Amino acid sequence: MAILATRSAMPDDLLAPLRLGWETLLERLFFLPPFPESIDSLALFSLLLVVGLLIGEWLHARVGWPKVIGYVLAGTIFGPSLLGWISIEALAQARPIADAALGLLMLEVGRRLDLGWLRHNPELLRSTLIDISLSFILIFSFALLLIGQSPAWAAATAAVTMASAPAVVLLTIEESKAQGVVTERIVLHTAIASAASFVVFTLVLGVIHAEQSEDWLNAVVHPLWVAVGALLIAWGVARLALLIARLLPKRSLAQVFILVASALLAVGLARMLAVPVFLTLFLMGVLLAQIDERQTLRYTALPEGHWLLAIILFVIVGASLPWQEFTWLTGLQAIGLLLVRAAAKAAALAAAGGSLPLPKRLLVATGIQPLSATAVFMAYEIAGLYPEIGRSALALSLFAAALMELAGPALCRIALRKSGETAGSETGKGGIG
Amino acid sequence: MSKSLGEFRHSEPLTLGVELELQLLSLRDFDLTRGATDLLASLDYDGRFGDIKLEITESMIEVSTLPRASAGGIAADLAGLREILRVHCARNHIAVCGGGTHPFHRWPERRICSGERFDALYQRYGYLAKQFTVFGQHIHVGCTSADDAIWLTQALGVYVPVFVALSASSPFVDGVDTFFQSARLNAVSAFPLSGQCPPLANWEEFVRYFGMLQACGIAASIKDLYWDVRPKPEFGTVEIRVCDTPLSIESATALAALAQALSRWLLRTRPDLQVARQVHVARYNKFQACRYGMAAMISDPVALGQRPLRESLAELLELLAADARELGCTPWLDHLQPLLADDATDAAWLRGMQRVHGNLNDVAREAAERLLARPALEPREISR
Repeated sequence: MAILATRSAMPDDLLAPLRLGWETLLERLFFLPPFPESIDSLALFSLLLVVGLLIGEWLHARVGWPKVIGYVLAGTIFGPSLLGWISIEALAQARPIADAALGLLMLEVGRRLDLGWLRHNPELLRSTLIDISLSFILIFSFALLLIGQSPAWAAATAAVTMASAPAVVLLTIEESKAQGVVTERIVLHTAIASAASFVVFTLVLGVIHAEQSEDWLNAVVHPLWVAVGALLIAWGVARLALLIARLLPKRSLAQVFILVASALLAVGLARMLAVPVFLTLFLMGVLLAQIDERQTLRYTALPEGHWLLAIILFVIVGASLPWQEFTWLTGLQAIGLLLVRAAAKAAALAAAGGSLPLPKRLLVATGIQPLSATAVFMAYEIAGLYPEIGRSALALSLFAAALMELAGPALCRIALRKSGETAGSETGKGGIG
Repeated sequence: MSKSLGEFRHSEPLTLGVELELQLLSLRDFDLTRGATDLLASLDYDGRFGDIKLEITESMIEVSTLPRASAGGIAADLAGLREILRVHCARNHIAVCGGGTHPFHRWPERRICSGERFDALYQRYGYLAKQFTVFGQHIHVGCTSADDAIWLTQALGVYVPVFVALSASSPFVDGVDTFFQSARLNAVSAFPLSGQCPPLANWEEFVRYFGMLQACGIAASIKDLYWDVRPKPEFGTVEIRVCDTPLSIESATALAALAQALSRWLLRTRPDLQVARQVHVARYNKFQACRYGMAAMISDPVALGQRPLRESLAELLELLAADARELGCTPWLDHLQPLLADDATDAAWLRGMQRVHGNLNDVAREAAERLLARPALEPREISR
């Protein structure tokens, strides 16, 4: 910790001569503001963007890794755990941007949740249900029996880690321009498992209150507040967005702005009412797709600019990972959790059967391995309830997410590439691309 | 590798077969999607209505009926194939759609299907192969002899504009209104072996001509000839290849019925074809039909003048009435009567949808719903 503290102080040491010079000038030049003690939000935004972008692009171009890995690495390297150039204060300052980025991506995942497909395809319903239940049961049992967590915290660990990472999956698909049946199933599994994990997460909030403080009022009202609050915000803002968007031409830039602005409104309201942003925006996406009978916003896509926000999101996620608390034991436990989780997903897809051949179903299982931003944010949300216990109880989930930050995007990309559904898949045949 | 033409296989006279190239769409935005190989791999279907197979890119499939004696049989097969597709496309989260072009897809995003022939086509034609993601209807008419097949190939060539105008369903390309009723054929005409069958008198001349193409290294098999109408020796048929895939299987059946009645009338009356003169106006007349549809002005190299296509089509339908009665396909020809009006063609319908919705995603969605919509009367009832 001492080393980390010294590292964190490094920028202050570097700035000391500058500060001295500034204060000398300040005595003569009365228009000068006081020496800026913290970096301006926009400047921070720009720095995170450039650093994340450079590392992501470099890894992508040189090693062929998904760019997301580079963004997370940038955050990890410059975050409080290593170099400390992104301080904890700066992280808090950038949190609204991360919320907005995660919110937009969750909105998109929610919009892609097509329940009609499940109605027409019983095998898919079977595989998603087995995935959800098996992942929860195996992770819960692992945390309870092997790690020795209490039932409530084991349930929290399962809630946080049972689903795939919607943001990573979406960005990896977008980056590799993947299209096809494996891709579609990865998105559907991710969306449905996310929905299930949010339900479990909401219930777990109550269970934790009950276990930690025997406060039954909070145990009942908190989950209700989260569920009803998220639903009301999502419903209200989705309705408002559709109402306004109806006045505008479909797929117009104005509609894109309405989509983004309404998403940001939902993010803001969720933050004001202490309702999880990821849940609210996911629900808003689902509702937008379900109640949009006139297809008003159905074809209106997020602007390319959401990549900018995604870079910031993953830099911040990287910086939020508690590497300073890493111990070999927790590391091994996290690897164990990830293996159990991977086995649950592979078994679910293999057991589900159906018309999709087994190798392709296993590719779907590989593609849904990522674990990332939503898990990290969910873990911090739960840990924040009882910080003295929660932080250590959820270290396992956070380390699992940390490991998967690096492996997850690569696994998802391998699955998409092996399925032959990425844009570059046919160049191997000597095509002209 | 050059392939011998082989013998012209005997077919029952005027038997029909229909192939439809169909679009595979994403249910999210109704853009073309890649999914043909997986869709076909997941098919649980015994082939009772005909075949469902891959086409050159992953965004298309081809359905083909069994050989049938009547248009009613074709309608029943197409209805059966439609039901198979309805179930399996829903299971695979794909929409299926008619129409000659997709209104707004981006051709560089298309993926060539795996397979030796598709690979060879891609290597040979480069980007043209991807731009060939257009969707046509092919109609096979059975012939009893090879010489009849060559004669009928020439005779049907004169009626190419009629088939183009009646089936036109490709007004949009790359997200813009092309002003054409059928823009699909512009993608076909980029291929060096597209166009008309040259004036050939009989099977012997055709074999000699094809032998020359093989010797010159231009064509290896009959599949390399992308003619508007061509003989198909292995099926014992003449194949009309200029139609856009209509938006409904009822229209596809009606076009097949027209081909059958017309072939019967031609083979029965054997009109003087004036092939040597027709060859000079064929390309212009086809352009007229592609561009203007029912409003095309068709040049007559014998009477030396122009005539509205709509007028000659109305006359033709009257002329074919007796043959249609004999073949039992009068109700299907009646299905074509409303198309004589400009605003009843599929191209006009698509433009109408664009005006209503103001975007092409909804146009593609409506077209997909139209293909799968069951008509008020089932085809068998119509054909009675």
